[in-house]
Amino acid sequence: MTRRIWAAFTGLALLLLASPATMRAEGRIFANGPLPPIPVPADNPQTDAKVRLGAQLYFDTRLSADNTISCATCHDPRTGWANPHPTDTGIRGQVGGRNSGTVINSAYMRFQFWDGREASLEGQAVGPIHNPIEMGETHENVVRKLNAIPGYREQFQAVFGGDATIDGIGKAIAAFERSIVSGPAPYDRYLMGDRSAMSPAALRGLRLFNGKAHCTPCHSGPLFSNQGFHNIGVGMDKAKPDLGRFDHTQDPADKGKFKVPTLRNIAETPPYLHDGSEATLLDVIEYYNRGGTANPGLDPLMLPLHLTAREKADLVTFLEALTGPVPQVAVPAFPMGEGVIADPKGGLR
Amino acid sequence: MRNRIVLAGLVLSGAAGLLLPEQAAGVPVFARKYGFECTMCHSSMPRLNDFGQRYRMNGYQLPDLEHLEKTVLESPAPVALRTSAGFTGTQYSEDAQLPAESDLRLNGLDLLSAGQLGRDIGYLLVYVPQIAEARGVAAQDGSLEMASIVFSKLGSSSLNVRVGRFEPAYLPFSVKRQLSATPYEVYAAAFPEGIALAETQTGVEISGYGPSRFQYAAGLVEGGPTLRAIDAPGDVYLRLATVIGAGEGQTAGHRLGVTGYVGRARPTEKFDVSRSPVGFYRIGVDASLNLGVANLALQYLMARDDQALWDDDGEVSYAGGFGELTLQPRVDLVCFARVDYLDAPVIANRDVTRLTAGGRFYAVDNVALHAELSHRTEKAVVEDQDDLAETFVTARVDFAF
Repeated sequence: MTRRIWAAFTGLALLLLASPATMRAEGRIFANGPLPPIPVPADNPQTDAKVRLGAQLYFDTRLSADNTISCATCHDPRTGWANPHPTDTGIRGQVGGRNSGTVINSAYMRFQFWDGREASLEGQAVGPIHNPIEMGETHENVVRKLNAIPGYREQFQAVFGGDATIDGIGKAIAAFERSIVSGPAPYDRYLMGDRSAMSPAALRGLRLFNGKAHCTPCHSGPLFSNQGFHNIGVGMDKAKPDLGRFDHTQDPADKGKFKVPTLRNIAETPPYLHDGSEATLLDVIEYYNRGGTANPGLDPLMLPLHLTAREKADLVTFLEALTGPVPQVAVPAFPMGEGVIADPKGGLR
Repeated sequence: MRNRIVLAGLVLSGAAGLLLPEQAAGVPVFARKYGFECTMCHSSMPRLNDFGQRYRMNGYQLPDLEHLEKTVLESPAPVALRTSAGFTGTQYSEDAQLPAESDLRLNGLDLLSAGQLGRDIGYLLVYVPQIAEARGVAAQDGSLEMASIVFSKLGSSSLNVRVGRFEPAYLPFSVKRQLSATPYEVYAAAFPEGIALAETQTGVEISGYGPSRFQYAAGLVEGGPTLRAIDAPGDVYLRLATVIGAGEGQTAGHRLGVTGYVGRARPTEKFDVSRSPVGFYRIGVDASLNLGVANLALQYLMARDDQALWDDDGEVSYAGGFGELTLQPRVDLVCFARVDYLDAPVIANRDVTRLTAGGRFYAVDNVALHAELSHRTEKAVVEDQDDLAETFVTARVDFAF
């Protein structure tokens, strides 16, 4: 009897130890694997001409009412395709309430904007144009302006078979943004078998990320985002807090919820959180370590973490290992027309 | 020979744990299902952290992420195995007239499965196979230790119903997930043939959160084995608790609780069915205080039993409790020290005191090297009896595959 018990125990232990693949990957609910191929909507296939047109539109300040603001103003390629300031400054110096998220890998996001009010990249691309604080233009007027520029008109004819439309503008910018995808990060290379790709500190950080630091439940999947919405309490102690997702859905359960951002290339896009209130990754980790800001809708998984100084540093090192190469995009030449002036950031205004 | 095999197994397992950290990490049942490290839910396996406690209270679903769960029909039902192996020794005082015991052995084995049967319907099964006493292997009775279904978010987001055999919520400090190998004396105490609080119960329990972070749990359970089927269910309980600060009081926040348990049992007298069931109750207060990496667990419990349950004419009440300090300076190291006492004049006319200290080092999340020393004394409260003492020591490896 004893021998049989020991044999069964030993056999099971060996089986489990010898078959890590069966224990580790298959069927897991949360898996942070490499990025899949870019999802492209059937009604907006990627073409080189469309991406080129989208790049011009992305950098062109003439999409704004006073020709001062382009997409690149707030989603600057030189600062991780995001805004290095806590919140955005739009036309006439108006200051918005949220930090611009990165364009990198936005192609994979099921929801756009911090509150997820747009489902498609095409919809997101034209949203800021008629936002009174951001670009302050009307869709009708921007279409009129672009159709008055021969170079744009020709390209829209070639790409879409007609004049510029707001739908075409959105599709072209979205196509360009779909080309801004990060390549393999050290983390991906580690997963592919390069054991030297991540430092011991990064590996310790990975285990913390997936354990004691409680990051994975929300930051899971290839994007390191479950693409859901959560209330982690940011800004909820203010007299008039930004209610995030609630403003779009009007569901009381959504008060204070914001989209879970991707963590890929996160080291390149300070400051952090929807209001840009945390300057560094370590600051963000400190925020989580405190358990967030108490409020009635605080996510039940927000809890004090008791991370040590070394554990926090290891987490930062791991997050830095999620940085992959991003296509280098030069500011394109623009079709000439009215309202084009030099942009100190390298584009046109 | 078998001792050598056990020793070799320990060495090999320890080596495997140390050499194969990636493979071994996070393999137990829930961690494997989600792809988490064990430390997602355990401050130090098997002790739950606040995250794990909320997960358990939510019916083995991640709160607010229930839509991501997979049922047993959508993914294989995860199964885990838990056991420990190593040295245990017990030495008794001379007056106990018991021989010292020591062995290098496998200490218990259980199989566990848990998951989702459907949206907001979770299950937990713990099966303990019967093992006969043998050299190198500790005996254990076979049983279905736990088999419960949890219906979550019934009617409101904070009402859960647990049905079946489970560890009831009236225990503020779980005996199934305690770090120490020695029992909480006050939870283990019971009248003859009665049910100890430490035992799992069969019945139904509701639990959840009320306003202002107030927690509640109430249950109707079968109670002790001295009741016949027609008597059961016999016992009810109510627990109320609140947490000051963020957390669940496991590793963050300060939890204060009060528990009441009222039961009926048939006086044993060889299970004389002609005797009617009589009553007993337990009232306890508890606190779990967290300061940084330290947790202080405090429990005080009063018990009063109908004297017929003891076949005794004396005062049938007792009180006891414990204070346990746990320190976890690192994620892979935890130390604990505990004082138990049981002021129990009726129970063999002895007051019980236990002093326990130990530590666990996690070679990987699911393989713990455990060392513990515990000294228990029974102080006679009548003149013609001797004090008894026992010293328990263990050094072993705990596994959860």
